[in-house]
Amino acid sequence: MPDVARKILWPALGAGAMLAALSTAPARADEPSAELLARGKYVATAGDCIACHTRPGGQPFAGGLSITTPMGDIISTNITPDPDHGIGKYTLQDFEKSVRHGVRRDGSRLYPAMPYVSYSGMTDDDVTALYTWFMHDVKPVAETPPATSLNFPANLRITMAIWNLVAGESEPETGDAATFDKLRRGKYLAHALEHCGTCHTPRNVMLSEKTDSYLAGASLLGWYAPDITSSKTTGIGDWSEDDLVAYLRTGHVDGLSQAAGPMGEVIEHSSSHLTDEDLHALAAYILQVPAKEDDGEHPARARAGQALDTPDIRSGELTRIDNLNPMDGKGVYDANCASCHGDNGAGTGDHYVPSLFHNAVVGSGHPDNLIMTVLEGVNRTANGVHAYMPGFDGKSDVQRLSNAEIAAVVNYVTATFGNGDHGVTAEQVGAQRVQTPKTP
Amino acid sequence: MPSEQDLSADVVIVGSGVAGSSIANELVRAGISVIVLEAGPRVDRQHFVENFRNLENKPSYQGPFPSVPWALHPPNQITPNDYLHTTGPDAEAYQQVYLRMMGGTTWHWAGCAWRYLPSDFELKTRYGQGRDWALKYDDLEPFYYQAEVMMGVCGPDPAREDLGSPRRQPYPMEALPISYAAQQFRKLISEKTPYRVVHEPQARNTRPYDNRPTCEGHNNCMPICPIGAMYNGSYSVYHAEAAGARFVPNAVVYKIERDSANKRVTAVHYYDPDKGSHRVTGKYFVIAAHCIETAKLLLVSADEQSPDGIANSSGHVGRNMMDHTGVQVTFISGDKALWPGRGPLETNVIDNFRDGSWRNERGAYLVHMVDDNQVDLATALAISKGYVGRELEEQIRYLASHTVRLFSHNEGLADPENRLTLSSTHKDMLGIPHPEVYYKLPEYTVKSCEHTRGLFRELIGLMHGTDEQWTPGYFPQDHPAGSTIMGTDPKDSVVDGFCRTHDHENLFIASSSVFSSVGTGNITLTVAALALRVADTLKKELSHA
Repeated sequence: MPDVARKILWPALGAGAMLAALSTAPARADEPSAELLARGKYVATAGDCIACHTRPGGQPFAGGLSITTPMGDIISTNITPDPDHGIGKYTLQDFEKSVRHGVRRDGSRLYPAMPYVSYSGMTDDDVTALYTWFMHDVKPVAETPPATSLNFPANLRITMAIWNLVAGESEPETGDAATFDKLRRGKYLAHALEHCGTCHTPRNVMLSEKTDSYLAGASLLGWYAPDITSSKTTGIGDWSEDDLVAYLRTGHVDGLSQAAGPMGEVIEHSSSHLTDEDLHALAAYILQVPAKEDDGEHPARARAGQALDTPDIRSGELTRIDNLNPMDGKGVYDANCASCHGDNGAGTGDHYVPSLFHNAVVGSGHPDNLIMTVLEGVNRTANGVHAYMPGFDGKSDVQRLSNAEIAAVVNYVTATFGNGDHGVTAEQVGAQRVQTPKTP
Repeated sequence: MPSEQDLSADVVIVGSGVAGSSIANELVRAGISVIVLEAGPRVDRQHFVENFRNLENKPSYQGPFPSVPWALHPPNQITPNDYLHTTGPDAEAYQQVYLRMMGGTTWHWAGCAWRYLPSDFELKTRYGQGRDWALKYDDLEPFYYQAEVMMGVCGPDPAREDLGSPRRQPYPMEALPISYAAQQFRKLISEKTPYRVVHEPQARNTRPYDNRPTCEGHNNCMPICPIGAMYNGSYSVYHAEAAGARFVPNAVVYKIERDSANKRVTAVHYYDPDKGSHRVTGKYFVIAAHCIETAKLLLVSADEQSPDGIANSSGHVGRNMMDHTGVQVTFISGDKALWPGRGPLETNVIDNFRDGSWRNERGAYLVHMVDDNQVDLATALAISKGYVGRELEEQIRYLASHTVRLFSHNEGLADPENRLTLSSTHKDMLGIPHPEVYYKLPEYTVKSCEHTRGLFRELIGLMHGTDEQWTPGYFPQDHPAGSTIMGTDPKDSVVDGFCRTHDHENLFIASSSVFSSVGTGNITLTVAALALRVADTLKKELSHA
């Protein structure tokens, strides 16, 4: 993958770039109002800063999470108000420049893993509230995560300046974002705060989001952030506003879909904490995003499949305890999936365990998320419910499945409950397996 | 297979069940090198789940686990079999089952994770019966908690339901929700009897824990939890392996080598399935091979230096065999339907008879109301009553929803006459003799069982029960104990209070075989706590070495 970045960015280097020198003024030390702090905290939650700026098991906002990109691994920074290790010396202007324009206090450019292209749409008021909350309420942590070392030429931060020229920024929204009407508020949430497009919009050769394919779906670290446009087949055009609100609040809608992986984290850390009004605004806006394409040749992702009628998928053979032979798809399903999802695929009566038919992950044309779910499992807490499914990768204590077994069971599941056998191969599973986090 | 010279570690452990694997995990994380030798093979949950689905006789705990010929285990419970030979007046009551494979017998336990009562460790002092342990409850308390955290034990809030074993910390997880059948049973007991039903502490997840899911109540903890919600030794194997411990499967240890003074163990020898012999050296050795196999190994290793077997200067290796030999009855309640079989198998216990002044003459016991699916039994009963067609279906429904199953754990007592020896007639494919056990139920336990029968009859009457089916004689509980008994006097015991053998300073035993009395609670948590205490001792000694 580094080759791609090299090819893309090398020609751009010749263009040169200028960084504007901005004057700064020290921040005032007035005691901020409770309203301002609450708003700042809410903006931080809606912007999901914690997702990237906290490593697993680490202190909140102290950075250290490794984010895999086509250019190499980017390690998130400490954004606690510690003066030496974090952003304690940042003025509001410094902060604004980094959040909205991707320029650090020392003048260097941030890597575009930081979604400042999205955050550039934030209102002045929200940036101020966010800054105030970080400085006032976030606990300073005196530790510096390891430095990011990328492949040439992306390792030259000057390259990022050029990238930024091409990527462009949004005009900031103006006025009081709390008073926007529903769709304007929804758009503001989707673009400037939740930055949905960062994952769900495919990127062009310059790794910028393709503006003509907003939210049309893109690959991400082994997962696939699906089409969430209003397409009725590949997208979520058949979801109601209430469906989408329920999904963003709980991560699960009976008979439609459930979140795992990165989207599970978004729901856990961010969207489940939004107000009802904001969730409806966000949902209403997302549901009117134009479909990129609507081929209509297959059923909608979440409408595919049905319960298997009185299946008997047992092998019929009793084997000795030292039998470690790989199982076929049906066998893997019977021994590892059927206990919870049912031999008929219907899940549990209370829907804690979802059905596999009428399930957007199974019905998708992209089996990526089903493969990743089998590998990594589900671990999402939202709205007071801890949804958990064990993973079946090489770290599993429940059962360690081979690439061939996972390919076989994924093909069995999509053929039986979804939109057909996608012919997933062991090699494909192996390629996705390397994307799963390493054992700590 | 590495050459023999490669097989050496600070600590060599025989057996990969809850005891051996948890010691391995503790030691390797303290920077101590560990080799674990397991007689049975490496295994996979999915094949057991599939075996269980294919099995006709679902209640057969050993059914999904057909053994390998080089590490036989008993093929079934209660009935005489070709591996564990039992003799004596109560031979059938000692037909125990266990598993020889990576992770050990907890692959098919029911997750009951009782702490013993303080009095269980002082039976002789308090009641003049049996023996005292060479340690007290308080010595074990921190290790009980460590074991509960390791296994993931759920249990009741001690402020609301005190189970009699003092705790410094709450259970790692909240108690299980109570099933419908259990609610009905609890209501009856509390309203119509002076007794009480308590939440059984369970090594079973009531929330996602240790990268395993929440229990869904599949009701087949035995023979196999199909989703990994219940603890078994394989998790400790995986944790230990992830930290660098080395597990060697299919390594059947048959000889324990000592120095010329016969004071220190220098190596153990094992056969691979082709009977190739391998020698493994170390600084310390732990035998953690289950009560029956541990005693068998010590006896099999007899040689000129120790003609009666290793660690056996007292002659007590293989003696004092105990169990929770109990009583079992099923009947059809004449009251409201209970619908048993939803939720884990064993969650409700009458604990009023776990301790009392009467323990000076009869053994303690606890009673399980077993919450298992009764369709098999109901079907057999309905057919035996001559029902056919639609009526048969209705009867099965009625009987399955009204069946009550009760069984008890009755306290055994250390009696040297109850003895494990090596079979003189049966040997396995490697030439190692099968184990043989003489068993006569101690009078102390007989009296306890009589008392239990009285209680069962009282409960049957209260529930207007019919169609009583008593298990003939006594019911083995697969909780064997005592074969390398603990004590302070090397003349009548095998290990000291730290589970170190009196005879060999670097040989430890981690198993229910060291129990001096057997109390009433299921033995596994105490086995794990003792094992973790052995690990603690070894860590201290090796860090000072």
